[in-house]
Amino acid sequence: MATQTARPSIARLLPGLARRPEPKTSRHLGWRLAGYVLFVGTWQLLGTYVFEPFILPAPTKVLQDMWSILLSGDFWPAFFATTKHLAIGFVLAYLLGTAIGIAMGRSAYWDGFFRDYVMLTLTTPGLIFALICVMIFGLSSLAPIVAIVLTSFPHVTVNVVEGVRAVPSELMDMATAYGVNRRTQLRHIVLPAVAPFLFTAVRYGFAIAWKITALTELFGGADGVGIQIRVRFELFKTSGVLAWAFFLIGLALITERLILQRLERRFFRWRPKAFG
Amino acid sequence: MRIGEGLVQVSTTAPTRSTARLRRVLLSPRAARITAPLAFLVAWQLIAPLIPSRILPMPAEVLEAMIEQAREGTLVEAFSVSLTRLAVGFAFALAVGGVLGLAMGMSARIEALLHDFVVVGLTFPYLIWGLLVAMWFGFEGQGPVIVVFIAGLPYVMLNTAEGVRDVSKELRDMAAAYEVPAGRVLRHLVLPSLSPFFFASLRYGLANGWKGLVLAEVFAATSGAGYVINEMREYGHFAGVVGFALYFALFSIAVERLVFGRLSRWVFRWRPSATKVRPAETIQ
Repeated sequence: MATQTARPSIARLLPGLARRPEPKTSRHLGWRLAGYVLFVGTWQLLGTYVFEPFILPAPTKVLQDMWSILLSGDFWPAFFATTKHLAIGFVLAYLLGTAIGIAMGRSAYWDGFFRDYVMLTLTTPGLIFALICVMIFGLSSLAPIVAIVLTSFPHVTVNVVEGVRAVPSELMDMATAYGVNRRTQLRHIVLPAVAPFLFTAVRYGFAIAWKITALTELFGGADGVGIQIRVRFELFKTSGVLAWAFFLIGLALITERLILQRLERRFFRWRPKAFG
Repeated sequence: MRIGEGLVQVSTTAPTRSTARLRRVLLSPRAARITAPLAFLVAWQLIAPLIPSRILPMPAEVLEAMIEQAREGTLVEAFSVSLTRLAVGFAFALAVGGVLGLAMGMSARIEALLHDFVVVGLTFPYLIWGLLVAMWFGFEGQGPVIVVFIAGLPYVMLNTAEGVRDVSKELRDMAAAYEVPAGRVLRHLVLPSLSPFFFASLRYGLANGWKGLVLAEVFAATSGAGYVINEMREYGHFAGVVGFALYFALFSIAVERLVFGRLSRWVFRWRPSATKVRPAETIQ
């Protein structure tokens, strides 16, 4: 406990991941559906009968817009540009975040060195980083990439630090005592202990990364979804803004659910499911 | 450890007691916290001239801009406008989110009804909310306050619901069996068990409300910290932008160290530190 109080974890700055299983939806499926029906229904009614379409377009109008954007030439270039920024920026952020996380987890000196930077970048609004990156790098792909690295590396770092501290020191001591070589130690003690945290780090970092990508693109990128959102905003096209917003969220959800979660499940398939 | 070692390597021919002590001091985690910003400053000073057209201002220029912002009152005015908006928006989030969270915690049906919307609320980018409120309420309206409300709401709801579920069933039954008056149950059972969750909703709700707020101020306001920093960027006052960004950073440090560090220690002084739970079972 003494070491714990001497080096309080910065992980408390992050909201904890939900370890609680999803609410038992099968029992209350009706209520869950009722929520959606109520929401979409109210929106449709308000959009059709109460508000002008430039204030609140009905969901059907937004869907129409999404369809016409898909058919027009705007969609794929913007989509690929954003995906490219996101991919490059996030990989860099992940590598940097992991390296710093390992250093912080293993040494009190580096923990002290990076602690304030990490805390700062976790709590300062992404807007600030977006503006400064746009200011320095101007209209290029560099601005969103650097902004992603700066804002999402601390989310990775914090989780990696937790992971490094979760390595069971008793097992390490025993392995050293029995002369187990370093590679075996890494493969069978360190990696299994750290792996879940490495995956959590991906999720946390990614959750920030896609938002900051669009934000930076909007302020001064050369291309991407953010630019498209900005154009619709300046033309006062609410349904266009919403349509692109849903594309953006769709991109994030598909990446997270279909790629990241599937990878995670594949990696942990050796682990029994009964916990939680 | 390499950096610190480099610093003291100068006089290692005869490692006397004083150099050993110096080395120990320089390599302590506490010294590292001072070394870090110094290293940052040095790196900045060296890198800034290398960037073409001197877009990145030198530290001295930024310091000058910061002093000017503090003396002219731009700083205090911008932050006080923003913090007022934050307080108003978050007060609404606490009131509404508290009631909804209570309902979610007590009824599995309401939980099923609202849960997915809370998740959507947590993931929907504040950028989009900022643009929407700008289109809905214009540049002079209450748009930023509404974004604070929207950003804080899901955190308050989730944490309240979680806190309600956390009140020990056995203790509630026992209180009922011994006919403890409702006021005392509330004071000694419900509130202590809700308080870590309330605190978590303050921490995450305010932090995210702040992030949403400054973003909304760029699009939907003509005052406030977010508006001011974007305006300086648009006018090309780069030293001012970096200076103001540093004020944002100092503000986060101050809030983190003083408010959340001290306050949470005081609020939870009754709790043995070994049993620290991690509240805020939120999803991102």
